Amino acid sequence: MSFVLHIMVIFEQSLSWEGRNQMAKLMAKLKVVPERLEGSQHLPEVKKNYGVLKNYINGEWVDAEASKLEDVENPATGEIIAQVPLSTARETAKAIEAAQEAWLEWRETPPVTRVRYFFKLRDLMEKHFENISRVQVQEHGKAIDEARGETRRAIENVEVATGVTSLMMGYTLEDGAAAGIDEEAIRSPLGVFASISPFNFPAMIPFWFWPYAVACGNTYIVKPSKQVPLTQEYIFELIHQAGFPPGVISLVNGSHEVADALMDHPLVKGISFVGSTAVAHYVYRKCAENRKRVQAQGGAKNSLVVMPDCVLNRTVANMLSSFYGCTGQRCLAGANLVAVGDIYQELKEKFVEGAKRIKVGYGLDETVNMGPVISGDAKKKIERYIATGVKEGAKLILDGRNIKVDGYPKGHFIGPTVFDNVTPDMTIAKEEIFGPVVSIIRVKNLDEAIDLIHSSPFGNAASIYTQSGPAAREFRYRVQCGNIGINIGIVAAMAYFPFAGSKDSFFGDLHGQGEDAINFFTDRKVVITRWF
Amino acid sequence: MVLKSSFPEITTFGSLIRFALELEKVATSLYEGSSKTYPNVAALPLLADLHRKRSQLLEHTRQQKLNEMILEPIYDLNGNDYALSPNGHSPSALKELIKMAEIIEDKSARFYSDSSRLAKSLLAESSRIFQKMSKENDDNKSKLKTIAS
Repeated sequence: MSFVLHIMVIFEQSLSWEGRNQMAKLMAKLKVVPERLEGSQHLPEVKKNYGVLKNYINGEWVDAEASKLEDVENPATGEIIAQVPLSTARETAKAIEAAQEAWLEWRETPPVTRVRYFFKLRDLMEKHFENISRVQVQEHGKAIDEARGETRRAIENVEVATGVTSLMMGYTLEDGAAAGIDEEAIRSPLGVFASISPFNFPAMIPFWFWPYAVACGNTYIVKPSKQVPLTQEYIFELIHQAGFPPGVISLVNGSHEVADALMDHPLVKGISFVGSTAVAHYVYRKCAENRKRVQAQGGAKNSLVVMPDCVLNRTVANMLSSFYGCTGQRCLAGANLVAVGDIYQELKEKFVEGAKRIKVGYGLDETVNMGPVISGDAKKKIERYIATGVKEGAKLILDGRNIKVDGYPKGHFIGPTVFDNVTPDMTIAKEEIFGPVVSIIRVKNLDEAIDLIHSSPFGNAASIYTQSGPAAREFRYRVQCGNIGINIGIVAAMAYFPFAGSKDSFFGDLHGQGEDAINFFTDRKVVITRWF
Repeated sequence: MVLKSSFPEITTFGSLIRFALELEKVATSLYEGSSKTYPNVAALPLLADLHRKRSQLLEHTRQQKLNEMILEPIYDLNGNDYALSPNGHSPSALKELIKMAEIIEDKSARFYSDSSRLAKSLLAESSRIFQKMSKENDDNKSKLKTIAS
């Protein structure tokens, strides 16, 4: 609902009888200029069409050699908004060689000088904050607030990376080896690194890695998802304006051919990957075979455990954002709603009531809570999961299929969906759906809830909603997940904390962001010194 | 002077800020336009300036204070309680102008006060900003009373 009411109506309610007469006289003289903000109206798009995208290699925008192009679709409108080249291994190698060449000089650039480029970039990103966010909405479909939040996260990683002069410091111990023999450890950059990113966070995910790598003195190649290449294309123009030396940071668009070329090339020292568990495992194996550093983040099936003593209204509001934020396409999204004991009935009713009120539409409409899923294929896959849930005996109490969004007949929309009577053995309770589908599972107590979490091969995140300190402490202590939420449903580590999951949600040891990133992108060289 | 406004429904943090920006737009336009009509009233351009700065503060808040971890849907604020829609007007007397301005300040004060209470559970930093803005609206009402007298 949007509304425009006449000032007369509103003012009349606030005025005395005499005042109303005066106001009526005043209004008679007024020129009426109606302006309506309809539900379907939205913020302006940055561009209608972005044309054929280029690669950014060695400090220049270059046409891809590739003859193969793929369409980039706006998932809300169904419009084709760009074409992305599927770059070849050969041009990927060119980017790697340029990065290696640039590294020789960049490595010798003092850290304090290196971070000045990041200060410039940070200012440019703040200036272009709204456009970066709107491009994300156009290509990904998420709601504008979510996109703004994502842009903020990307900037925060730049901000943390500017602390590299402190973060990268080594350590020294006088007489560390023996009397008169000192020992020190120096952190040194390694060379060329690269990231392979998924579709769900077009702006943020490359920023978990590359600012730290480059600030530490490495050079870097970003390969965005071919489904959402526009945000990085936009940001790379800002990187160009920030004046980073040629080859220090490059962008290569494409698909698995680019990814394989990055993983196979001997000059690439390490890979950061985010995506599905199957591909993460492949990346981990391949990088290990090729003697590279690797951090490979995979899938998830996150449980949100609700204890009987939770603050129910606040819990439900927070869970709605976890389950339905980014249309359930977050690796940190809630998937299973685990009701402990007698909270079940009231929790279910309130949650479904809230879910029904989620406004679905084009994310550039600021009143929209939830956008479409990324593609027609993703929509079909989610619908197949819903059908499987029904077939396996779960009770579909809110069905988001067949939702119609006015003005967007070609959008890939699925409404909030809720299954009740889900048991842990069902497919929808076990597999990552990556959509706005919630499975309510009843358990007797906290032990059973933790057992349920541990029965999953994934270990990305888990949350508990409770007012009990001991219950929260036990949950935090026992649950084997990389990210634990206590009365928080989206456990997204800030830039100065490490981020990754456990078990099949992550292959590697050093996580993204923060100090872990500094360790991933540097070598520790030990120097032992004695003077005769 | 032509005042226009379009208030969205309040369902998200972004729409809450958009709503607030609309309130500021109406107030800025009213004071700006009136200051030309009544150049001897020194408070009018100052009030226009204040509301213009508040718009900047709101945009800054939207950009800097947002945390996607706690972007919960908003169901508890009914925009009808605070909306204004002065679809083009030119108050013919200072007294009428003051009356209109008082209503705008009053509705804004209530909007920011209620939003502040709501935002406390979502975005504590925004809550403090809204609280301060509500107080400013109350202060403005006092200034308007001085002009009227």
